[in-house]
Amino acid sequence: METTADKKYKYGMVIDLDKCNGCGSCAVACAVENNVPPALEKMNKRNGLTWLNVSTVSSNEQFPKSESVFVPMFCQQCEKETPCMTVCPQNAVDVDPTTGIVGQIPQRCLGCRYCMTACPYHARYFNWWDPEWTEGMKQQLNPDVSPRMRGVVEKCNFCHGRLHAAKQKAASLGNREIDPLDYNPACVESCPNKAITFGDLNDGGTSVAQLAKSENTFRFLSRLGTEPKVYYHSEKKWVQEMAEKSMTRTHVANEPAKEEYHG
Amino acid sequence: MDKILIPRGLQRTSFGNFLMWILPWTAMLAVGVYAIYLCLAEGLFHTNMDNRFAFGIWIFLDLTVIALGAGAFFTGFLLYILRRKELKAVINSAVVIGLICYSGAVLVLAVDVGQPMRAWFTFWHPNVHSMLTEVTFCLTCYLIVLLIEYIPIVLKNRQLRQIPKFLVFEFQLHKLMPVFAGIGTFLSFFHQGSLGGLFGVLRGRPFAFREELGIWPSTFFLFVISAAAAGPSFIMLTTWLVEKITRKQLVKPEVYKFLGKVSGTMLIAYVLLKSIDTLFWINSTSPGNGFPAFEFYATQSFGTWILFTEIVFFGLLPALVLLNSRLRENRKILLGAGFLVCSGIMLNRFVMTIQTLALPTLPFDDFLTYSPSWEEVATFLFVVAYGMLLYSLTYRYSVIFPQERELSQMNGELSQQEFADGGSRRPFWQPKFVTDLLNKFVSTKL
Amino acid sequence: MLPWVYEFHWTAFHITFLLIFFTVFVVVVSTVILAMRRTQQAEKDNTMESIQWHSDFDDLSPAFKVCRHELNGDVKHRVCDHGFDCRSCTVHPLLVSKQQKHPLLQFEVYGFTMPPYRMYHRGHTWVQEENDGTYKIGIDDFGTRILGRAYSVELPPVGTRLSVNGKGMLVKKSNMNIRILSPIDGEVIEQGDSEKGWYLKVKADDSKKVTAHLLKGEEIPNWILRELERLQISFATCGVGATLADGGELAPDFHRHYPKADWDGVIGQMFLEA
Repeated sequence: METTADKKYKYGMVIDLDKCNGCGSCAVACAVENNVPPALEKMNKRNGLTWLNVSTVSSNEQFPKSESVFVPMFCQQCEKETPCMTVCPQNAVDVDPTTGIVGQIPQRCLGCRYCMTACPYHARYFNWWDPEWTEGMKQQLNPDVSPRMRGVVEKCNFCHGRLHAAKQKAASLGNREIDPLDYNPACVESCPNKAITFGDLNDGGTSVAQLAKSENTFRFLSRLGTEPKVYYHSEKKWVQEMAEKSMTRTHVANEPAKEEYHG
Repeated sequence: MDKILIPRGLQRTSFGNFLMWILPWTAMLAVGVYAIYLCLAEGLFHTNMDNRFAFGIWIFLDLTVIALGAGAFFTGFLLYILRRKELKAVINSAVVIGLICYSGAVLVLAVDVGQPMRAWFTFWHPNVHSMLTEVTFCLTCYLIVLLIEYIPIVLKNRQLRQIPKFLVFEFQLHKLMPVFAGIGTFLSFFHQGSLGGLFGVLRGRPFAFREELGIWPSTFFLFVISAAAAGPSFIMLTTWLVEKITRKQLVKPEVYKFLGKVSGTMLIAYVLLKSIDTLFWINSTSPGNGFPAFEFYATQSFGTWILFTEIVFFGLLPALVLLNSRLRENRKILLGAGFLVCSGIMLNRFVMTIQTLALPTLPFDDFLTYSPSWEEVATFLFVVAYGMLLYSLTYRYSVIFPQERELSQMNGELSQQEFADGGSRRPFWQPKFVTDLLNKFVSTKL
Repeated sequence: MLPWVYEFHWTAFHITFLLIFFTVFVVVVSTVILAMRRTQQAEKDNTMESIQWHSDFDDLSPAFKVCRHELNGDVKHRVCDHGFDCRSCTVHPLLVSKQQKHPLLQFEVYGFTMPPYRMYHRGHTWVQEENDGTYKIGIDDFGTRILGRAYSVELPPVGTRLSVNGKGMLVKKSNMNIRILSPIDGEVIEQGDSEKGWYLKVKADDSKKVTAHLLKGEEIPNWILRELERLQISFATCGVGATLADGGELAPDFHRHYPKADWDGVIGQMFLEA
């Protein structure tokens, strides 16, 4: 299957926060694509499985001036000293050197949750419950993605199932490399405002690489030095400043972010 | 009833009394077993941990318990390697406590992880760069060492020692104890350190992250030294507690003083290093990551007072007390200082786990709170009950304190007097006023 | 873990980590195996009894391990560190040369019949040299009175090799078993019984040094005094309210006077069994 061994990719994303209206399609598409089980009634904001979570952040100003922004947050695919990978005791987290994607191998995962405490983005989720699907939903499970059992950690992997399918297609056509059009994560495809751009950051020609380098593009917690590969873009000054600020200097909206549950 | 199992010439309470003593612990154990069953069979949703608070009371108490259990390795090191003979009086107790602490911690860890059956994966394909790998390897090896060190104590039981092979094996094993003490020290150095390293390496948690010295973050060394300081204090406190419960003198006063001195010496070194580390973190590490350190203390309950309490009230104060030979003479002050040391370790481990996770990292994060569910508390109480039972059984049916015989003979005259006067000894589980009342109104002996 | 298992990396760090782990593991396992091998070896070499005694002696409190030279007044205070076996003690010969012999003539010592022509072992047995060079062994009066009336003695068969402080005989009393230490090295050549007043006749190995460690002469009264003290301590720690009058005599049916006493503990301690 290793048909793309020669080329080194570095997949990344740029999310235009100015285009995001917080509809939550990306979160739903993500859950459906990756066989994330529907939330149980007992679950809450903090123990449900939300690989892609949209938070609402307010500028915290008085009414007429008040503004808010929606921030889709998920695994930021840290490139350097990937915090979750270095701490996992049994190599259940790996960074694919050919794609730069941080993968989670649930079959190896012990469920110690050390990676979750290591992740500054809170992008990792633990299966506190046994996954449950209704009979009808079982029919719609994605055959390219294996469901996870209770007691293991899971997270966004840039839709690994789709990458795999694209590789297979390329191989069947006799190509060594995949067609970029064949590989786009579900959230990218589902966004009605086309706020998310995805692609190879190593290839200077792609729009994602250009956007990542453009002005007004930033990353969250970039000062930690983990070199995340998910970028955010906003023309608004306060949003840019918010991303650079650490906790107390930014005031969080009093109202907790609305959770986008899937299913 | 169980007289043939009790060491010859030592006084143990009656079998009925003993049953009364272990009954509540057994009940506690049973509740714990049920809680553990729920967590293992149904899932960890029985806990109040969540994706943001992925570590909870279990990890915090595991760290505490392992630090307090450090007395086993440190006493062994001082006795067998540095030949401090006075510690012979408490080595057995230290080993039993160490065994309880470590096996309890491992047991709770097994409940804490989502897939305990996969624990062997860490051995089969380890990530040697992970602090948790180091912890897993050392903890497993050290638990085996503690079990081996525990064997001679069990084999000293009166009936078991009747079997010549057992007694001779015990003797041979005992002769080789320095090897185990050495290995235990080596392993403890690494896993106590790695438990600190666990948090020090968290680049994504600027509150916990520390710069590396060599291949380990500074918390590695702080944890080793603080555990070595807390271990002797904890042995001091537990020995005193056993003496209180059994109403007997079990070790000579010098032993207490020596333990206090050892604890104080390690503690003063710890306070010094911890202060340097904190200053470096406030002025360099934390702001370097974009998080001015005092912002961590600006949130709600965890103010700078916690830092002050940890370093000064639970650190410097008991260290100075324990290093003063005149203050050590006073048993109450000595034990009080030991209590402060143990509390300080507990607070430190609390800060490292709970505060680290409560603090936000993303700019739009909230400060989080967490309180354990009853299942989490019951699982921990299981360990307490298990420890109480194991210690009580070992104490009853073997000799934990080698000085007990000698001291009971020295105090023999006294107890003889007591028997002659009162006729009945108050069962330890009975409050004094009850005994007094009974004696007053019911003339029959209890 | 192993080179052919996935995620094994030939890096210095990985190799060092695993080497340390394997070393620790091998050291722990081999130390346990060594202890087992030594146990087997002790079984082969017949040193098990001496190890057992060593362990019992180790568990005695210092007050119970008074050196014989403290008994006869050579030194003020000394705790025996040789398992009551003066033959291998380095201090003993130095003190013996200073010792002045006062032959003891009395039979009665604080109410006990302790004939002066016998030598006594600390485990309450006596040894008497016969004209033919063999030795008779019996339980001394002090021991007999502590054991009380109803007990039986199990003797080793003729031909058994005895060693000092090893198991000499076994006393059975109600449900207790008390091993009586052998006072000398030698081979059992005849069994006696309580009627005859002695239990074993032994052919000793080396007549010169065979009794060097046994108490004799003027050591006996002081020893008995210490034993009375020890008995009192044993009573106190074994949960009885009984006190012996100072220098009091032990009645032959001493047992009946203190039915509540933990006799197992008292007898065990007096016969030096932990």
